[in-house]
Amino acid sequence: MRKDDKVAKRYGLVVDLERCTGCQTCTIACKVEQRMEVGSGIRVETVGGPHRDTPAGKYPDLSMYYLPIACMHCDQPPCRDACPTEAIYQRPDGIVLINEEKCNGCQECLPACPYQALVYDPERDVVRKCSLCFERLDQGFEPFCALCCGDQAIFWGDVADPESQVSQLIAQRNAYILKPELATGPAIHYCPPKPPRRA
Amino acid sequence: MSLARPVKTEPGETVVRTVCPLGCGIACGILAHVKDGVLVKIEPGDFPATSHVCARGLSAAKLVYHPDRLKHPVKRLGARGEGKWQRISWEEALDTIALRLKEIGDRYGSSSLAWVATGVAAFSNLATVGFAGACQGTFILPAGFGDAAGPCADQACYGAPMWFGESYTMHFDHPAFCLMWGNNSAETEPFKWRRIRDAKERGARLVVIDPRFTTSACKADEYIPIRPGTDAALALGMMNVILDRGLHDTSFITDHTVGPLLVRSDNGLFLREKDIGPGESENYIVWDTRTKAPQSYGMPDVAPALTGIYTVKGVECKPALRLLAELAQEYPPDRASEITGVPADTITRLAVEYATTRPAASFRGMGCTRGSFHGDLSFRAINTLAAITGNISFDGHAYPQYNQAAFLTHGIPSFVTLLQMYETILTDKPHPIKALWMTRHNLINQDPNFNQVTRELVSRLEFIVVADMFMSTSAQYADIVLPVCSFYESIDLAPPIGNGSHMYLQLQQKVIEPLYESRSDLDIFASLAKTMGMQEYLDKSAEEYVELLLASGHPSMEGITMEKLKEGPLPAALHSVPAFATPSGRLEFYSERLREFGQELPVYLEPLESQRRPLALKYPLSFSTTHPKYRLHSMFANVAWLRELDPEPTLEMNPADAEARDIQDGDLVRAFNDRGEVKLRVRVHQGIRPRLVNVCEGWSPGDYVEGTHQALTHETINPAQQAIYEPNSAFYDTLVEVERVEEG
Repeated sequence: MRKDDKVAKRYGLVVDLERCTGCQTCTIACKVEQRMEVGSGIRVETVGGPHRDTPAGKYPDLSMYYLPIACMHCDQPPCRDACPTEAIYQRPDGIVLINEEKCNGCQECLPACPYQALVYDPERDVVRKCSLCFERLDQGFEPFCALCCGDQAIFWGDVADPESQVSQLIAQRNAYILKPELATGPAIHYCPPKPPRRA
Repeated sequence: MSLARPVKTEPGETVVRTVCPLGCGIACGILAHVKDGVLVKIEPGDFPATSHVCARGLSAAKLVYHPDRLKHPVKRLGARGEGKWQRISWEEALDTIALRLKEIGDRYGSSSLAWVATGVAAFSNLATVGFAGACQGTFILPAGFGDAAGPCADQACYGAPMWFGESYTMHFDHPAFCLMWGNNSAETEPFKWRRIRDAKERGARLVVIDPRFTTSACKADEYIPIRPGTDAALALGMMNVILDRGLHDTSFITDHTVGPLLVRSDNGLFLREKDIGPGESENYIVWDTRTKAPQSYGMPDVAPALTGIYTVKGVECKPALRLLAELAQEYPPDRASEITGVPADTITRLAVEYATTRPAASFRGMGCTRGSFHGDLSFRAINTLAAITGNISFDGHAYPQYNQAAFLTHGIPSFVTLLQMYETILTDKPHPIKALWMTRHNLINQDPNFNQVTRELVSRLEFIVVADMFMSTSAQYADIVLPVCSFYESIDLAPPIGNGSHMYLQLQQKVIEPLYESRSDLDIFASLAKTMGMQEYLDKSAEEYVELLLASGHPSMEGITMEKLKEGPLPAALHSVPAFATPSGRLEFYSERLREFGQELPVYLEPLESQRRPLALKYPLSFSTTHPKYRLHSMFANVAWLRELDPEPTLEMNPADAEARDIQDGDLVRAFNDRGEVKLRVRVHQGIRPRLVNVCEGWSPGDYVEGTHQALTHETINPAQQAIYEPNSAFYDTLVEVERVEEG
């Protein structure tokens, strides 16, 4: 239990980039759970060379890691401010959602997101994104990507609670956020890859 | 059923615990959500303590409900491969097949009727073997499609059956050092990768040896690039350092390997009691350093020599370890470096680390066994490296042994290995093969030398049946195509394959009814048996066959019943197995059986089409076709969800090779050799070794601009592999040239 019930919950994810192998299971899991035929609420970028699954450097001195990117469920979501129909809103626990009844598919939010985390769904004519599987969270289940992640690299929880597993991972692993200079206040944190150990 | 953890369901959904039995072999558990008879969702199914699923397995509903699924039997109109089909009834299909099999069997003999099948699920393969047996026909042993060289090595070294040899060197519970050889399990065996990753997180250093910078390599503490197909030379270089510095484990070698057994210099056979005394005893002889005399192996108070040269009854003999040391002496780090491209000081350092950080685990991949025509020697050298350093584990034998006889009630077929099949079809020796039935193996797409298969082999076959879910490359050449149902539509048993992911037996449950007119392989063979007047063959239900398979009486199956399997996975019971089922009962790094090939020791032999062969003047690039992460061989290549991530085939090429050919990233290129060609786009990047080009396999001819990657590969038989197990397709032991072609 939380020590101080007055502190608001702040749901988020911690992604362990040391563990992530770019297997794309999260990408597919999101399609399964959210029934997204085109695109996904999460994508896995390769941090390395010119193409997916290619490294930086010069053979054989190479490096590569994978970076899953979903909606950051920002404290100050730029997408919300860009939405002309006020379809984007934030729950008290921090989860940023799109009200599909209000969304008119204008896609003005897409360029507003510094993380390119929004996806236009042509079938429904709405914009979609990671909902942090709030329907699952509300019933006590983990986000589906976290359940399916073969690398056990995705952790979810209350990042405002210093006792939570995610907060402890953030502290222990010096987890970072993407584009802190924009002051969007992302709720997705990344544990950096560990440096190689020498013989 | 009871589930291991709470599962979120929608109203009206039920959840069935089943298994993904596809060809990666891992057999992840699956929870299938079903509503109104429709598979609505797939999620990972727990083993007691963990679960796993991959992007492919999670996409499987897209295979089940794919619009291109075959819905009814068809027969060919027009020429083979022309793509003209006519819908027929199952009755007509079965009548036609029965008639044609009888005609061909009467004319060419029943062994001219051949079947091939692969996969993890038990029924489909055993029923195919059994049906071939009931027809007195031929079963094509399929491991030669690229998987055979590993078992060749493990048969020679350990006497271990397919893939179960892996467990000797994995040390999963406590490896202190992990060495991956041509193995990219992070992409291709992700459940197994997680165990390697766990070992790394517990402190083991991870080193990956590979010509390509794979996902596994990017996760390693050290990446060691190597010239393709030269792994045995690297292992021999490491043995050189280890034996030279005395870092080998003499007690393990003495107690568990052929190291102390004396080998006759005159004929290369182990010296036996009958050679030096009265009687016919086959007992082995060692040289006792205490009495300075030969002694029968196994006598008390004997201190066997591992070095030296001895003369026994006028015959010069050496302990087998001495012979290995003589071989390793030919590979000092400088020479091993010249062959492998790995720096000599890296070889020395790696050897010392491997020998002194115990237990050191080895994970061996098909990069080694497909990368060289002599891939079995690569694995034998890696096994031998483990043997001389005592890095061999005897833990955790739990090989499930079914009552396979349940399906083999009406005879055993003749067996022809996959690569022999090519020659057999072409030459009618040792017998003609005139009818071929392919199921669960997209042979024409996945096996070597596409142009030979489609131009020469197919035309000599008078009748081809393919059972598939889709109009696969193989199906396009068939006379009759039968719609087979998916693994969500039929019952089967999925064993663990022994690659270390898990040791559970699982029930593949019938989650939904077969769609359209599709049937399971078992049902197809059972109905054909009736049509052919063999009613008594395959006359039981799928559930009864599960029960029969489980009732082997083997200790591994103790306590395992169908009812319990419906509730969830059950571990195959641990049971004792002979330490090594080799002729000597010891780990055989020296194999008498392979003397005639000059391969009694794990010698290094240059790959057939290496860059050091004269052929490389014409075709200077090595060509590999590695396992894809977005497909499972040719399965899932038609799934749009995965196609979003990997839209089209590409040829990976190092910038240096691209520049030399005036090729830019994204250009249309042609890779070719004397056997054929493929046209596709090039992906220029640094993650691939110069002078190596690669296509991640699984694509079909229709996915390429022209040709196919298998048009470049060859089916040359390695006689040593044929003698010991099955000859392997050395897919990556292939040379090509690449040139830019004009668009359009």
